[in-house]
Amino acid sequence: MSYENPPVPHEVNVTRENPLGEFLRLLIGLGLVTAFAAATLWAGGGWLARHLPFASEAALVGESVPGLELVAADEGTAVPAAIVAYVDDLTTRLAAAMDLPDGMQVRMHVVDSGVANAFATLGGHIVITRELYSRMPSENALAFVIAHEIAHVRERDPIAAVGGGASIALAFALLGGDASRLLPQVAHLVTLGYSRAVETRADGLALAALKAVYGHAADADAAIRALADAREAAATATPPTLLSTHPADAERIARLASAASAGADAVIAPLRVAWTGD
Amino acid sequence: MDISNLESIPGRTIVRHLGLVQGSTVRAKHAGRDFMAGLKNIVGGELKGYTDLLNESRQEAIDRMLQQARAIGGNAVVNVRFSTANITSGAAEVMAYGTAVVVQ
Amino acid sequence: MEFVLQVGVFVALLVIGYVFGRVAERGHFRRLEQAEKRLARILVFSERTPPPDAARMRSTLVGGAVVLGEDYFKRIAAALKSLVGGRLTVYESIMDRGRREAIVRLKEQAARLGATMVFNVRFETTSMSDPTRPQALFSAEFHAYGTALIPPRTEAPAADTSEMRLAH
Repeated sequence: MSYENPPVPHEVNVTRENPLGEFLRLLIGLGLVTAFAAATLWAGGGWLARHLPFASEAALVGESVPGLELVAADEGTAVPAAIVAYVDDLTTRLAAAMDLPDGMQVRMHVVDSGVANAFATLGGHIVITRELYSRMPSENALAFVIAHEIAHVRERDPIAAVGGGASIALAFALLGGDASRLLPQVAHLVTLGYSRAVETRADGLALAALKAVYGHAADADAAIRALADAREAAATATPPTLLSTHPADAERIARLASAASAGADAVIAPLRVAWTGD
Repeated sequence: MDISNLESIPGRTIVRHLGLVQGSTVRAKHAGRDFMAGLKNIVGGELKGYTDLLNESRQEAIDRMLQQARAIGGNAVVNVRFSTANITSGAAEVMAYGTAVVVQ
Repeated sequence: MEFVLQVGVFVALLVIGYVFGRVAERGHFRRLEQAEKRLARILVFSERTPPPDAARMRSTLVGGAVVLGEDYFKRIAAALKSLVGGRLTVYESIMDRGRREAIVRLKEQAARLGATMVFNVRFETTSMSDPTRPQALFSAEFHAYGTALIPPRTEAPAADTSEMRLAH
């Protein structure tokens, strides 16, 4: 009976293959699957959400404006009544030209904020800020911004974004555990692409509204230029196009300028009311 | 190849003791199994997906242990024991170890 | 913008984890091979029955333990593999190295005591990562223990102190 310890082959328990190969294969494979799934979920969620009747959406939201808290209003200053009336009048004229479905009401809010911003949110609420208003070179430019936001409301883009986001979040919650950490980054990229398409469509509808009201769409590009200047002034870095929700400014300005069908005699109306500090 | 968790193979004599041999494997369940188990947790009972997973792992661990035993010239493994360790990302390691011997 | 930063940090950690992790792993495997060759004369068995001549030997419990952790690359690679299921080859290396290191340390203790054989060797593997923090890096303690048989001083070859080295 002998006792001995011949050397044991340890590679039986350790696969010698390079982990990098498998890792890259998995990364690319899963990345593609996630991108596809995210696009489908976003589209599906959005499509479903758009079927919620606008009346229900408006009723659910009521008077409160979702997202208003993100646009911090400067303390104590009220918006001059003249501005409110002017903007409301513009809004009504543009909305009338945009063929809104029955029962769809657009509610405009002007907020005294130093950050140039405009957005459409749930319930037909639209918000524009003092800084944006002050930077608009003409009424046509302002009208373009307002019409763009009305277009979002018309196309039910806010609720579609909520629906799309919710369906993706639900899918990740179901997958559970590790998936919810790694994959959202990929899904985020896909949803940005979708947003850009939606924005371009809103631009198109806004151009049509301008043409209906003014006969041309001149100075629509000026609005974007003004907003780009505002961003530069605020010194926020411009993210690369792939990571941005809006198409690159230069591209957008070019597209709007070429679609303006403005003849040499196009009249650009100046802003009727100036926002003087008080 | 004989395997036993006794001291010896009954009815056979150990001629040479060849020392420790081990087999181990680390396996993860996939997202689908995770999802089904999550649902099953609501009603309780056997999580068939996980049972199968660990059975496969155990079998692979034993196979690797036998591979090591064969490589050093043994024809039986005695005193086999198992050790299972939980690894965070939903994976488990199953290890089987024993002493490789030559029996007659 | 911060998205780019996040991705950048992630990739940097991955690369650092991969490069330095591979270097550390190869070094560890090399050291293990050297140590195992050096300690090859200490025999280990998982059997409980010692040989007949054990009666005249002294016996004592010996053990060796080590805690090993993973690197960032392994964690991400394992997380990805967990989605599709199957063998986690990146962890197999940690488990193998840990066990072998524990046995090496067990043999080193046995050698210091002048033993020639260790019986009833058993393993204990414990996961050290905090279960309440699923994102924590994985680490495990590997513990091997057994009973060492020390031949009487007159017969045994002298414990070779020149080979003794602190366990690392």
